[in-house]
Amino acid sequence: METQVLIIGGGTTGTGIARDLALRGISCILIDRRDINAGASGANHGLLHSGARYILKDSETAKECRQESELLKRLAPQCIEDTGGLFVATSKDDDDYIARFPGLCRDHEIACMPVDPARALALEPCLTPDLKAVFEVPDAVVDPFRLSLDNAADAQQRGISIFRNTEVTGFICRQGNIQAARVRDTRNGKTWRIEACQYVNATGAWADKVAAMAGVYISMLYSKGSLLVTQSRINHQVINRLRPASDADILVPGGTVSIIGTTSVEIDSLEDIRPTMAEVSAIIREGSVMVPELADTRYIRAYAGVRPLVKNDRDEGRAVSRNYTLKNHESDGLKNFVTITGGKLTTYRLMAEKTADIVARRLNNHRPCRTADLSLPSSGKGAWTGPGKSLRSRTAGSQPTRLPSGETLICECEMVSESMVDHIVTSLKAEGRPPALEEIGHRSRIGKGPCQGTFCSFRLAGYLYRTGDLSGDQGLFQIREFVNERWKGLMPLVRDRELVRMELQESFLCGLFNMDAGV
Amino acid sequence: MRTVQHGRRRMKQKPMADTLIHTHLAVIGSGMAGMAAAIFARNRGMATVQVGRASEISFASGCLDLFSTVPGHPPRIFADPFEGIAALVRIRPEHPYTHVTEDQIRQGFGEFTRFMASAGICFHGPAPGTNQKIITPAGTLKPTWQVPGAMIAGTRAVAANQRIGLVDIQGLKGFGARQMAQTLKAKLPGITAATIAFPGRETAGNLMCERLAWDLESQAVMDRFIQRLRPHAAPVEVLGLPSVLSLYRFEAQRQTLEQALDRPVFEIPTLSPSVTGMRMKEAFLEKPGGSGHHHFPVAVSRIIRDRDGFGFFVTVGQETVEVRAQYLILATGRFLGQGLGVKAERITEMLFNLPVTQPHDRSGWLCRDFFDPAGHPVNRAGIETDEFFRPLDADGSLYDPRLYAAGSILAHQDWKREKSGSGIAIASAFRAVSHMASDMTLPDSDPPDGKAFP
Repeated sequence: METQVLIIGGGTTGTGIARDLALRGISCILIDRRDINAGASGANHGLLHSGARYILKDSETAKECRQESELLKRLAPQCIEDTGGLFVATSKDDDDYIARFPGLCRDHEIACMPVDPARALALEPCLTPDLKAVFEVPDAVVDPFRLSLDNAADAQQRGISIFRNTEVTGFICRQGNIQAARVRDTRNGKTWRIEACQYVNATGAWADKVAAMAGVYISMLYSKGSLLVTQSRINHQVINRLRPASDADILVPGGTVSIIGTTSVEIDSLEDIRPTMAEVSAIIREGSVMVPELADTRYIRAYAGVRPLVKNDRDEGRAVSRNYTLKNHESDGLKNFVTITGGKLTTYRLMAEKTADIVARRLNNHRPCRTADLSLPSSGKGAWTGPGKSLRSRTAGSQPTRLPSGETLICECEMVSESMVDHIVTSLKAEGRPPALEEIGHRSRIGKGPCQGTFCSFRLAGYLYRTGDLSGDQGLFQIREFVNERWKGLMPLVRDRELVRMELQESFLCGLFNMDAGV
Repeated sequence: MRTVQHGRRRMKQKPMADTLIHTHLAVIGSGMAGMAAAIFARNRGMATVQVGRASEISFASGCLDLFSTVPGHPPRIFADPFEGIAALVRIRPEHPYTHVTEDQIRQGFGEFTRFMASAGICFHGPAPGTNQKIITPAGTLKPTWQVPGAMIAGTRAVAANQRIGLVDIQGLKGFGARQMAQTLKAKLPGITAATIAFPGRETAGNLMCERLAWDLESQAVMDRFIQRLRPHAAPVEVLGLPSVLSLYRFEAQRQTLEQALDRPVFEIPTLSPSVTGMRMKEAFLEKPGGSGHHHFPVAVSRIIRDRDGFGFFVTVGQETVEVRAQYLILATGRFLGQGLGVKAERITEMLFNLPVTQPHDRSGWLCRDFFDPAGHPVNRAGIETDEFFRPLDADGSLYDPRLYAAGSILAHQDWKREKSGSGIAIASAFRAVSHMASDMTLPDSDPPDGKAFP
């Protein structure tokens, strides 16, 4: 297989690069080990930063966020909910920082308006009444799935090929050039080669491992950030704690839920990234200082992503720049390899532009970048598709307000009907994907209500048997997988009421159905 | 003003009850353990007051499990429940089954099933040295010990590998005949599936078993139901249905069906609320208890303990009743039954604040795999008792010699994984009530006759 550019990694950066290069008339192949946004691109807050969060410690990132967020609001409005954002200080927060905040915003040209605490409470009744100062900034919410899917779709429209479940297993290098990449289909083990002129490593936290295959050493720090998703949406705007960046100080609304986070925990391994119970406790404890109801609201999932931070010698954890790292690897003796990692979701376009600039120049293509002035076409895919960890409700809006009579509800907690499942099954089949329980779960709110999938996973399996989409004992395996996938996000959240639900669930699945005994 | 003692503190309490009931035994909880304790107490001539919402029993399968599996890596599955229990208590000497002999378990089950038979639910035991199997809505086979008449034909058909026809109902969710048949066909090659529309509810989309059970009390509906089943019965030897055949006249209705279709018919327990569980609860509550037996379907949140025993108030409608009991049996269950709760990340017992054996901290509660064959450590948390199931205080002494505990609140068991829920409930209630009866001395004056008086 031959192409001009092989892009490794299908996160927001990789799909952004694919579209950027396509717009310059360069042909590419994009591969991802798992799926679009399967890594940190799908496991974040979904916050479109105004830049205000970084004004104190990371001036560069603050400026980039300001410019890019303005640009994306204009060019990709379908992916953005322009909620606005508040920075709120409680009586515990530092007066000195509060005093400096408006000035720092002004220095970075970030619009910042003081808001009377009483008015802030009227705008966001979930806030603690213990407010000392509030400022309004142009933060917004972005759906990272929709963003990546729209970028990928536009790139595909322009002739770019995308292969999911395809990983790089090695590079064949000769005389300072990568000649080919050896790749493997992770589902069937099939291997082949992709020969390209240029290779782009956009693999986020895995950038050092992919670079190592090309014989290049990158020193990286993995910083795990955990987030919790609430059962229902509790705020209208983005709410930031007005203090130097710390844990659990951003509450981002999205669709029908809110997301509180994050933490910053240095980890050694990228295997099995999950939030710990201690992180969950810390997030709830800290978050409820700002929004008291976070202490007793119901959470539907905890998830974690890994920030890929490229290490400088003296940096640690949050102090490491959130800015991106772009390496052309020329000093490493490679002429056709480039690595882009780190950075923010908000600045993905800029990162893609800078990367594409290097690649295009090397290919003697001197066409300018178009992504800063051309709108991102809406593919309409984000409404239903996009597997991943973020729980933006993809069914909101498309859900009929009144069910036709005789229409059976498969998920009573989240009102998912048989016809909605039909719709998802049809779209999965059109994409060549199996209509498995987990895939349907990713594309709807099935399993995300209070029953934790106990009843709906069975009903869904029963329905798929009836339509002929399941046979043999597949359903039993899929229910186990579905429950365990939900469990991964629920286990760290189990505190008190969750024990009751868990007991009910286990009574059915193990006590009655004997599913713990294997199949 | 009357002064009562609560723990070591003395406090004053206003008389507020309309009625005062003196009783031998207060049973707190209306699940399987509470139900068993009340039955055993009645059989021993003890006056009882039982309280509890009886909510969990609606989830019951209707079968009585004893034991099947020792959780672990790998889990050890035993065909013979008593052989399994013998192996279990060697590995887990603190398990509740350590305190009961095989003979006591058999006596307890005997008393319990005789009572149920007299209330209209007949249980069928297995051949010696084995468990029986029932078909579940997941298409799995679950080991159990005693199978009610409603399900026994299915159990026998599985054992004999007969041609079973499963029938589901359009619009009844969580019960898929095709799902079950497809999942079971490797084990039961003759199994088939069919779907019928329920008479009079052909276009409804969200049917509930309880509703259908009410419908099938009507002979007209039953006749049409039979007509619709007839074509699906012809090619099979045994017919399996969701458990919807009436809440009260289920034996008669099943016999009607079996005669009309000329082959055995069995029911399969459904997801909550299950008719099979409700039948057991109804049978228990409907059975005339006689004077001296009271059941209040309410929860109790506070119990006073003094020299004479235990006291609490229950409010039913407009009336408040004060109950004074010599003995008390705690059968409040776990988290679902609210026998256990969580305060500041510690598991606590909700009524007496008894010490709860539990993992060191919250991070030790759960396994990362939901189906980890060792079971989640939090499920073995519970209260410690002596050999007669009397709870222990933190120093290992008896908390109160008149207080007993039974069922899933006990520590060191994992009934969901062991398939031992009914067995632990019945065995511990039996041992506790037997001991209580032998321990009991009735004062000559003021006999607790159980009669309510103002």
